[in-house]
Amino acid sequence: MQGGNNDRARAGRGWLAVATFLAVLAARPLWAAPDDTARMDALERRLDASMKLIRELSQRVEQLQKQLAHQGIANSAGPSGASPNAGTAAAPSPDEQRISAVEQSVQQIALSTSDRAAASGLPLHGFADVDAGTHNPTFPNLKGADIGSMEFFLTPRLGDRTRALFELNFEVDSSGDVGVDLERAQIGYQLADSTTVWLGRFHTPYGFWNTAFHHGLQIATSLRRPAFLEFEDHGGIMPAHTVGAWLTSAQRIGDGRLTYDVYVGNNQRIRGGMLDMNSAGSAHGGAIVGGNLGWLFGGALDGLKVGVDALSSRIEDVDTTPTIVTRLRSYGTYLAYDTDRWEHIAEFHLFSNYGLQPAGATYHSHAGFVQLGYRMPDRFTLYTRYERTVLQQADNYFQALNTGGSYHREALGLRYDLDLASALKMELATTRFTDRTPMSYDEALLQYAIRF
Amino acid sequence: MRLLATTLLTLLLANGPALSGELFIVCHTDVTLQSADVRDLFLGDKQFSGSVHLVPVDNAAQQPAFLERVLKMSAAKYSTGWTKKAFRDGLTPPLVLGSDAEALAYVRRTSGACTYASTRPADLSLVASF
Repeated sequence: MQGGNNDRARAGRGWLAVATFLAVLAARPLWAAPDDTARMDALERRLDASMKLIRELSQRVEQLQKQLAHQGIANSAGPSGASPNAGTAAAPSPDEQRISAVEQSVQQIALSTSDRAAASGLPLHGFADVDAGTHNPTFPNLKGADIGSMEFFLTPRLGDRTRALFELNFEVDSSGDVGVDLERAQIGYQLADSTTVWLGRFHTPYGFWNTAFHHGLQIATSLRRPAFLEFEDHGGIMPAHTVGAWLTSAQRIGDGRLTYDVYVGNNQRIRGGMLDMNSAGSAHGGAIVGGNLGWLFGGALDGLKVGVDALSSRIEDVDTTPTIVTRLRSYGTYLAYDTDRWEHIAEFHLFSNYGLQPAGATYHSHAGFVQLGYRMPDRFTLYTRYERTVLQQADNYFQALNTGGSYHREALGLRYDLDLASALKMELATTRFTDRTPMSYDEALLQYAIRF
Repeated sequence: MRLLATTLLTLLLANGPALSGELFIVCHTDVTLQSADVRDLFLGDKQFSGSVHLVPVDNAAQQPAFLERVLKMSAAKYSTGWTKKAFRDGLTPPLVLGSDAEALAYVRRTSGACTYASTRPADLSLVASF
């Protein structure tokens, strides 16, 4: 009988070896991938998980061996001394029971691990950046080091079709005070595969940049936004946010994809020389309406997107008495080409504004930028950008904005990706204002941007 | 026993990941997809199969092979793409599980779930193989 137990113990060890081998095979790590810190971390985690699995399997087999030993002793001490399987031909053999037990253990471990991973709670993401330079990249009258911004965005899982997105931003203003903005608060219902209607405050879907990057500086190649596309409280001349309803969709057609956005919301106003998106509601019931139509190429032109957009809003300048009201109309076109090697973005907006109160003439202005980027080997990206605005100063809309003057800026930058989630950026830029107060300044800027 | 485990791990570390084997795209049995949908599924552009909400699951052990053969993109581009997608559209990036066993166990018991693995389980819907 003792010999039988030894055989079973050897068989148990054999099955342990097989089970361990299969389990470890199933948990192969990523070490042969290109040298990458994230993958090394993944390798370490996989190795830890494998060792844990082996420990658990070892404990389980030892437990089975002890049970088997007890069973053998009990059988040898029994009156009949018969085989435990005698008279029960249909019952599984001890080896089969052990195999089944080990299989169940492995399955339970896998289930337990995937359960823990799935129950990760509320997804929290964010961006942050710090800067240094000869000028503050946003407030050029300041220099030295500065805190850029830190922001969180939440994408809670609410069900199959209900979605939500909240974005909270902490940033330092020109006086050094920390301000908090609820950048986005939107709740949406997914009507179809790639069609969602959102309600709340969202990034106004004009052009390409405003919805693609917005506060996400780590995912933008360049160190900062084009100046005319800045946020409302940073001197932007277009309404970067809208409070209202937004229908967005992307339909696959052949190799390509048709994207479109339609939105309506509270009209904006000008207060303190800056645009304000009337988050609490519009005093006089005006509205902004707009749309964006784009085409994402597939096949040989994969990575290329082109599109057009338009918006119209009734803008009240509440800094004046009586209030001056202007019809803002913008027509835009854009192009973005994003591949493993290149990132090119161009955006152009034509304004055709006219006075509503008092009634006035129509003024045509324009603004645009072209950015070319080349992703070099070894994580470096070289980029250059040219921005230019020609804004009619007789237009009440631009006249009322603190930053409504025309300018052009040339920039040359270098980005280095330290890893997937952090980047160092350097930029040299020259900015020249061409109307209100003609002047120019040069900048050398450094930024450390992360995402999490 | 420790010697056995250490030997096995050492052998596996020396051999590296098996990128050359076949890769199977499998889904929960309530999912009906075409092989042409795989790219859209894992890039967040396809979210429903009929009325079933799709749940893509990344299998870290097979991800290098999946990105190379199926999506044909780098890990950096895939990760950044999902960050942009989450930031713009409020989508949640795929759950990442560590091995075939974990990913397949999750897919078996989760409606709409899909993943990729180096083995072809008979009890799941096969969408494509690469």
